[in-house]
Amino acid sequence: MSGFIQYFLSVIDPTQNVGFSRALPQLMSSGLISWWLMYVIPVGIGFLPGIVCWVVYLVNPAVIRPPLPARTPQAWPLVSVVIAGRNEAASIGQAIRAALLCGYANLEVIFVDDCSDDDSVVIARRAARSVTRQGSDDNRVRIFPSPRRNGKASSLNIGIRMARGEFIAIIDADSTIQYGAMQHWLLPFADSRVGAVSANIRVLNSSTCLLTRLQELEYAMKFTVTRYALARMGILPIIPGMGGLFRAEILHRLGGFDTGLGDDTDMTMNLRKRRWKLAFSLDAVVWTIVPVTRRHLWSQRMRWQRNLVKIRLSKHRDQFVLGRYGLANAILAIEQVIVLFILPWVGLIGLFSVMLDSGPFSAPEVLTRIYWIYVAFLLVKTLIARDFASTPQPSHFWLLFLYPFYGLFLRLPTMYAELCELFRIGAKHPYVPDHIWQEIPWW
Amino acid sequence: MTPITAPTAKLEAPAANRRLDLLRMIAEAGGKVSPIANPRAERGYEYLSPFEDENELNFLARGDYLEERFLERVTLCPKCASHHLNVREICPSCRRARLASEGLLHHFRCGFVGRLSEFTTIDDGNGSRLCPKCNRRLHHLGTEYDRLGKASVCLECGVITEHPPVEAVCFACGARSSAEDLVSIDVFSYVLTSLGITAIRRGSMLDRDDELLFIEGMPVYRRSVILEFIDHEMKRLRQLKSEFSLLVAEFAREAPGNDGVALLLPCLTRMRQCLREVDLIGQLTDAVYVVILPQTAQKAAEALRKRILAELAPPLLALSAVQITERIHLEQVLSRRSAVGGP
Repeated sequence: MSGFIQYFLSVIDPTQNVGFSRALPQLMSSGLISWWLMYVIPVGIGFLPGIVCWVVYLVNPAVIRPPLPARTPQAWPLVSVVIAGRNEAASIGQAIRAALLCGYANLEVIFVDDCSDDDSVVIARRAARSVTRQGSDDNRVRIFPSPRRNGKASSLNIGIRMARGEFIAIIDADSTIQYGAMQHWLLPFADSRVGAVSANIRVLNSSTCLLTRLQELEYAMKFTVTRYALARMGILPIIPGMGGLFRAEILHRLGGFDTGLGDDTDMTMNLRKRRWKLAFSLDAVVWTIVPVTRRHLWSQRMRWQRNLVKIRLSKHRDQFVLGRYGLANAILAIEQVIVLFILPWVGLIGLFSVMLDSGPFSAPEVLTRIYWIYVAFLLVKTLIARDFASTPQPSHFWLLFLYPFYGLFLRLPTMYAELCELFRIGAKHPYVPDHIWQEIPWW
Repeated sequence: MTPITAPTAKLEAPAANRRLDLLRMIAEAGGKVSPIANPRAERGYEYLSPFEDENELNFLARGDYLEERFLERVTLCPKCASHHLNVREICPSCRRARLASEGLLHHFRCGFVGRLSEFTTIDDGNGSRLCPKCNRRLHHLGTEYDRLGKASVCLECGVITEHPPVEAVCFACGARSSAEDLVSIDVFSYVLTSLGITAIRRGSMLDRDDELLFIEGMPVYRRSVILEFIDHEMKRLRQLKSEFSLLVAEFAREAPGNDGVALLLPCLTRMRQCLREVDLIGQLTDAVYVVILPQTAQKAAEALRKRILAELAPPLLALSAVQITERIHLEQVLSRRSAVGGP
């Protein structure tokens, strides 16, 4: 074991070799396709935009973090926070309280309960009463207990129809809006071309276990830094369902979300096709609870990936018609195909090709160098996230050494989901009720 | 818990005579005074002459000469106290009252949720509707679309709400008040108590200590006194964990205003003889009496109850024993008393 660690560290030991200065030109000139596909392209897509933004932030922070305008509370528009959930008794109370107490007065909360079996409605009402002003005409919380289970998209549509606000925030029942976030969330709407703004999703239960700490790292890098950079480039791929703010008129005009899974991806695609700009707000922090077990994480990522395949490649396949929806959408379509669908496969194939190039495990030095380069880039990205959004916690930085293995683990449900979707294995998902599923044409 | 509110200072003679006269008139009116609903009255109810002075009635009730019995709750304008209010549901957005109740439909295929009127009816003889989002026909209720129930739709601004807020507009002053801000007052009937009957018979208001504490000629505490003792036992229970039980005795009801209470004297005296020195008897209503059994558990209280039942013949109708370990037990006993002693 000690011999392995000694070897493992030797590739970055300046006394043992010349390190990256020798390794990089060697790899770049090697023509090793796995090297290019696994690392050069992902680094280009995943790291460079973030680094550019960081440099801009260091030079002029106001470009990245515009200051709030001085406005009286009455001058802010009415925002309707719509929450749809089923059997969310454990978290709905906190979600409603946090929304009402987020420091934004002109706000209403609409909770649509999707025919829960638990006490979600009772707890939601109790939470509303605990926060709203007693003995006053306070209609800031409205609760709609649906008489029949309809799925998340339809439940959101009920909430959207009842919303009075000029803007509608969609959050999950286990998400909580941070104090002061709403004002920042609204800022990008000063640009009339912006149709929706993504919140900065942070992990609420990061200290629970190793898995949640790793997810905190992942969220900091992917959901904070990468999404911010992509938004600045005009190719933000998603307004997440756990924290998205929309112009109400758009949602009303579109007739709300389409039924089925992946409602957030679908809505994002609809907005993009209609040429609305999508923005990301670093200071609009929404906290969410992430899976604490491997099984739940696997299931979540399977669901996400299947939705992506179904919605991006099937339902919205017309996005690939270059020029139909503009250059940014064409770039995004290509980027999504590369990052989400091609890279996981070629990366895995590349890994095996390195290992099997001259016999099993004959190229350990290459793999070890790749590992260290990857960790170095992760470290840079983590530092950017730390500087941008004070996440992840410094005590979790050591997990960067484990992150490449976590990343490999995440590729498994991703690839399995693609195979399942390709061969229509287990297409029916319990999140969607039977009577809805039978009517949806694209699932 | 009702505190001891019996008057401690001797009443001024004119005031005492006036109140005694009032008690006599109540007795002549059948022992009970009830207000009459009158739209022109300031608060919607009024006590007919000669009982129109509500402060006097209230004073006598606080002195246990009369018993307050809840009759109705009246809602008043918080600004001018008028009861002439126009109460209606309003739109939470534009705050107008032009609301209509309309069904909501949900189209499964596209997820659209909208008002019934948004789904245009097609003239195909089947009553099919057209979804405004996806332009597909809706044929079968339950398989293609469903009703989500009814909601209130504002015909002015179009906002849909399930539970519209309630607002009242005062006809007198024009103030608009939300339902939560409205003022509510309770209206009571007043019933002559045994203390009031005693005062009438004696021709003077009672002001001796024993008269204020005990029902005349009976080893029974007055209502306010026994409630104070019960309250004290509750404090002992909370702080010293000193358990206690209550016996609740219900007697055949006598018409108020006569000597019905005196008829219970032999019965109550016999009951007193069955009790310990430390046990206390008090009157809750004309026909309901309560016994406090300090440091007595349910089992001992039950044994005592059986012994008393064996000793006493009618007019005792019912006797129950309850060990009080929490405030809720006491409230249950007292609410039962209210039910028994209600109008």
